[in-house]
Amino acid sequence: MTTLPLSHPVSPSLNLTRMWNDAPAFTGLSLFIAQTAVPLMAAAMLDQRIFLDAPIWQKPLQFHLALATYTLTLAFFARYLPAGMTGRNWRIYAGVVCFCVLAELVWVGGAATFGIASHFNTDDVVMGTIYGFMGVFAVILTSASAVMGIAIWRNQTTGLAPALHLSIALGLVLTFILTLVAAGTLSSMPGHHVGTPVTGAALPVLGWSREVGDLRVAHFFATHALHVIPLVGLAAAGLGAVIGKRLVWAASAAFAALVAATMWQAFQGQPFLPWLG
Amino acid sequence: MTPETLFQIVNPVAMLGWLALIAAPLAPRLTDRIAGLVIPLFLALAYSALILVHWSEAEGGYGSLPDVMALLSDPDIALAGWVHYLGFDLFVGAWAVRTARAERIPHLLVLPHLALIFLFGPAGFLTFHAMAAAFRLRAANTGQPA
Repeated sequence: MTTLPLSHPVSPSLNLTRMWNDAPAFTGLSLFIAQTAVPLMAAAMLDQRIFLDAPIWQKPLQFHLALATYTLTLAFFARYLPAGMTGRNWRIYAGVVCFCVLAELVWVGGAATFGIASHFNTDDVVMGTIYGFMGVFAVILTSASAVMGIAIWRNQTTGLAPALHLSIALGLVLTFILTLVAAGTLSSMPGHHVGTPVTGAALPVLGWSREVGDLRVAHFFATHALHVIPLVGLAAAGLGAVIGKRLVWAASAAFAALVAATMWQAFQGQPFLPWLG
Repeated sequence: MTPETLFQIVNPVAMLGWLALIAAPLAPRLTDRIAGLVIPLFLALAYSALILVHWSEAEGGYGSLPDVMALLSDPDIALAGWVHYLGFDLFVGAWAVRTARAERIPHLLVLPHLALIFLFGPAGFLTFHAMAAAFRLRAANTGQPA
């Protein structure tokens, strides 16, 4: 039996060694965040406090899960960065991104410890200032997806099928743009709910309101563009470069429309998919 | 010597150990000896003396939470408990610095964990271990240390 050289590896491997080599800081940080979720789970079991209609440790746990996923995803896509890019400047930038990720987690976890709000907390000068800084940190940590997306876009030597190549680059860039819009809008509001009455009915795990508009829905989808669009690209990779790329563009447009639609829906005071939950 | 006086002595002594740990890369072996041995031994000595003198007269015991609380309501025993924290936390801090050096974890990355061990001992032990585990996994996966 002969082995055929695959010019376009369709399914990239989830090899951890690869991620360590391509993005040691993101990989290590992801594992660290995942592990430090364990004491938070223990705290959640001990703590009966409810904050804004949700168990108080739900939000820190969601942030650990979300940022562990985000950093691991970046580590996975780092293999498609141009060879010369991961030098000293890149390592400094990655270090700054990691710092911002950790700062967000300390802030959100610390707020839970003290039973106060993290986001939207402008109760006093100190918390208001911290909230402002955390907004800047959030933009910096999300910028990593844009920086990587653009670099991967320009890299002509990824060896990927054109549709998959485009989908990875576009997904990363879209995560930044859509998150900036969705989360920026969210943070300009007094809170994540639009409408009344809020009695606390919410979807499990995600925590989205079942009774009023919830701006976090759009943020969730926006931030997951870097997962959804590449999956479309993976499916479209076998359809040839032209059709495949068109499909990726169409899916990206549709996905951006979905984010816009969930945002519009929230502003109407409507819960996401009312029949769910 | 009153418990208050001894309290005023043990705190800066422990602090000296923590300052040494922060600056550990400047003099690794000296730091190991001071923060990992000499100061913990000094604090162990203070603890042992306090227990030898005051244990018999103290109320309470180890059997139940109310017993432990009664035990710690005695100022001398509470001080002994505090010295126990100081000594063992510093010992763990010195262990973290040594472990990081042996496994080539940058000292800068150890500092936040040292702060946590200093303030909330076991929590810092937990986070340091989480970080060290990530570095170990990396070494195992890539066949090279950090």
